[in-house]
Amino acid sequence: MLRKPAWAAFVIGLLMTSGCRFADPESTTTWLFDPATPIAEEVRQNFWYTASLIAPFLILAEALLLYAIFRFRNRAGRKPAAFHENVKLEVFWTLVPAITLVMIAVPSFRLVHKITHVPADTELEVQVFGHQFFWRYEYPEYGITLSDEPLVLPANKKVALTFSSVDVIHSWWVPAFGFKQDANPGRVATRWVQVKPGYYKGQCAELCGALHGVMWIEVVALPEEAFREWVRARKRGEAPSIEELRAMLSGPQVAKQED
Amino acid sequence: MAQYIEQPLTLYSRWPKPLAVLVDWLTTTDHKKIGIMYLLYSLLMAIVGGAMAGMIRSQLAVPDNTLLRPELYNEILTLHGTIMIFFVAMPALAGFGNYLVPILIGARDMAFPRLNAFSFWLLVPSGLLMLASLFVEGGAAAAGWTSYTPLASKQYMATPGVDMWIFSLHLAGLSSILGAVNFIVTTLNMRAPGMRLMEMPLFVWAWFVTATLILVAIPVLSGALTMLLTDRLLGTNFFKISEGGDPLLWQHLFWFFGHPEVYIVILPSFGIISHVLAAFAHKRIFGYPGMVIAIAAIGIVGYLVWAHHMFTTGLSTLSLILFSAFSMVIAIPTGVKVWSWLATIWGGTIRFTTPMKFALGFIALFILGGMGGIFLANAAVDFSLHDTYFVVGHFHYVFAGGTVVALLAATYFWFPKMTGRFLSEKLGTWVFWLFFSGVLLSFLVMHFLGILGMPRRVYTYRPEFTSLNQLVTAGYVLQLLAGLLLLFDIFRTLLKPKQDLPPDPWGINEVQKTLDWATSSPPPPYNFERTPTPDQWRYEPKEQAA
Ligand code: HEM
Ligand SMILES: [Cu+2]
Ligand SMILES: [Cu+2]
Repeated sequence: MLRKPAWAAFVIGLLMTSGCRFADPESTTTWLFDPATPIAEEVRQNFWYTASLIAPFLILAEALLLYAIFRFRNRAGRKPAAFHENVKLEVFWTLVPAITLVMIAVPSFRLVHKITHVPADTELEVQVFGHQFFWRYEYPEYGITLSDEPLVLPANKKVALTFSSVDVIHSWWVPAFGFKQDANPGRVATRWVQVKPGYYKGQCAELCGALHGVMWIEVVALPEEAFREWVRARKRGEAPSIEELRAMLSGPQVAKQED
Repeated sequence: MAQYIEQPLTLYSRWPKPLAVLVDWLTTTDHKKIGIMYLLYSLLMAIVGGAMAGMIRSQLAVPDNTLLRPELYNEILTLHGTIMIFFVAMPALAGFGNYLVPILIGARDMAFPRLNAFSFWLLVPSGLLMLASLFVEGGAAAAGWTSYTPLASKQYMATPGVDMWIFSLHLAGLSSILGAVNFIVTTLNMRAPGMRLMEMPLFVWAWFVTATLILVAIPVLSGALTMLLTDRLLGTNFFKISEGGDPLLWQHLFWFFGHPEVYIVILPSFGIISHVLAAFAHKRIFGYPGMVIAIAAIGIVGYLVWAHHMFTTGLSTLSLILFSAFSMVIAIPTGVKVWSWLATIWGGTIRFTTPMKFALGFIALFILGGMGGIFLANAAVDFSLHDTYFVVGHFHYVFAGGTVVALLAATYFWFPKMTGRFLSEKLGTWVFWLFFSGVLLSFLVMHFLGILGMPRRVYTYRPEFTSLNQLVTAGYVLQLLAGLLLLFDIFRTLLKPKQDLPPDPWGINEVQKTLDWATSSPPPPYNFERTPTPDQWRYEPKEQAA
């Protein structure tokens, strides 16, 4: 079935051809290759940890299959074996995967707890609302509303995000943050982020109607000084464009030039 | 024995032959004819569903494509999923089940032959309603095969297409429920004298457990559909948030059905694979009792995992952990199946017939699908993978690589039994390699797309996903070619005269010892000239010792 070298070459080739696209700084950043929050970092580790525990089973099973295919052909003079049970073997291949799964489960559950529990020391709350087909962000502390605009966050600060929707179910997903959360009408869910400075892309992940596919998300996580600058600008009624916001990323001096 | 088959038409014997044949098929209660009609129905729907997949992959061949309007894209997406599950996979498995279960247990027919015919015929209005919904004003249902509320509510999707979708699934569901009753009663009551439960072939066991799943899961779907329907048409408030309804109620009900549903389409496939592997490895099935227990365990634990489809909805941490844990537990009996299949072919003398190629390909692809399932069952990782192309890749590995590959194995395996003709081994090899490589390619690449950040159910994507999407589309083309080749071969073979095949045309029954290969090809009306006796299916202890 699968010829091994061809298979390996295929995967490597695929990763390489896609790699050149994803080296582009304008590409979507991901939790697996460029995690931007402590949670995403742990999800990345947990993914590879899970993969490392699963891989031996995957390789073993496919290898046994290949071996059997080549070894146990119907050649002249060969007689089929007659065995059809082996209780010890059966107990073994029930217990070993069971133990492996426990090893996967324990750290996973700790991480689940971390993702779902908002730490007490968050410094800002941003309310996220899904609309067909854009996002609205409210900063209750500042009285700022962003409608169909990039979300601006203070970098490296713990921020609580609450999710809800005014119409159908949406799902707020920035891959580099390591989680997604559904925005349900009539319900509020809270998650938290602590984002490295930078510009991040995402999009709605729950089918919400015709234009679901273009319900984009952009996030700019500004260093402290630049973020305060942005809050002041916003309160003055200015609305810096995404280009200006990204320019502010490179430091407060850029922001100052704009005063 | 051939004359039996040529003359079941006594009632209409004075009518012109084509008319008599037609009326005979339309009014038949013979489980074999009904089985074949299920299979033809499924084939027809596979052409429709496959064409829809082609539309989806054409739209996604380049970003910002304007081939399909966004609304139409969602309609096609919804119908593709619904049709493939309810009108291709389930009828095809019901077809093989109908044809084979009575034969494998040495019965003359299903327990309730007329109910059986009724189950099949319900699918005709059901399918027509589903397809017709594409042409009503406002278009077909467009909220995905899962039709989450409130998107699928009247407020956001006023089209009667959604109501037609609901009615259609009501009919299909009723068909499945009645079919399940029939399978359960048949298996429990109609076995040839002396056949114990633990002697039943695995395909019968698999269908029996599947029937119990259908009997529990489908009524829950029907109930949820009814609630949605009354919300839409009669002004009830089950899912209306502003009136105190709950949008997540739908998801809980849907997935309480939806997860067992995935086992409904995979368990009979497991059964098929066990038969084919043992037959062409020339060995008995390894660990038969373990296999039966695994099937039953999957069936039972399968009820406890539904919320793994809802990890990102905002469940409590405890629910997340429990549903994650149960989902991982499912992987254990699934693993038992895989190891036992490997042990079944181990040390055998493998003949690489077309059905065997598909069965071996099934194992290769199913392992990949199951491994993906473990990442998804890991709730911490699923927060990132949920609703991305990773999930689409996972379930196509188990649906296309699993169920469909198993159905292809079954088609090649039992075609001579059903029609008295072999499909071409030469073309079959092509069909296999095209389909296998197409599935491998398309759905592997989808896993990467999901990890890299492409959500599912989108009609366009960011430019960095272009090359991978084109690889997926290329994989589709391979699968399409396989499908066309298979269709060609089926029609070509059916037009040829019947071969004079022995009861056991593959020459396997000395090891297989199942009753399907103990009767003529095709079997006579009522399957057996004499009620089968235990020596026809029971392994002799001498043989075991050898
Ligand atoms: C090792 C066994 C398996 C495990 C642990 C597993 C786990 C999962 C999980 C956790 C999800 C939800 C992913 C998400 O939406 O985020 C999922 C989705 C799915 N699985 Fe599996 N799975 C397994 C095998 C199967 C099999 C055998 C089938 C069917 C033949 C199947 C069919 C599906 C389908 C259809 C979906 C997606 C439904 C949808 O969202 O439209 N899985 N699986
Ligand atoms: Cu959306
Ligand atoms: Cu599931």
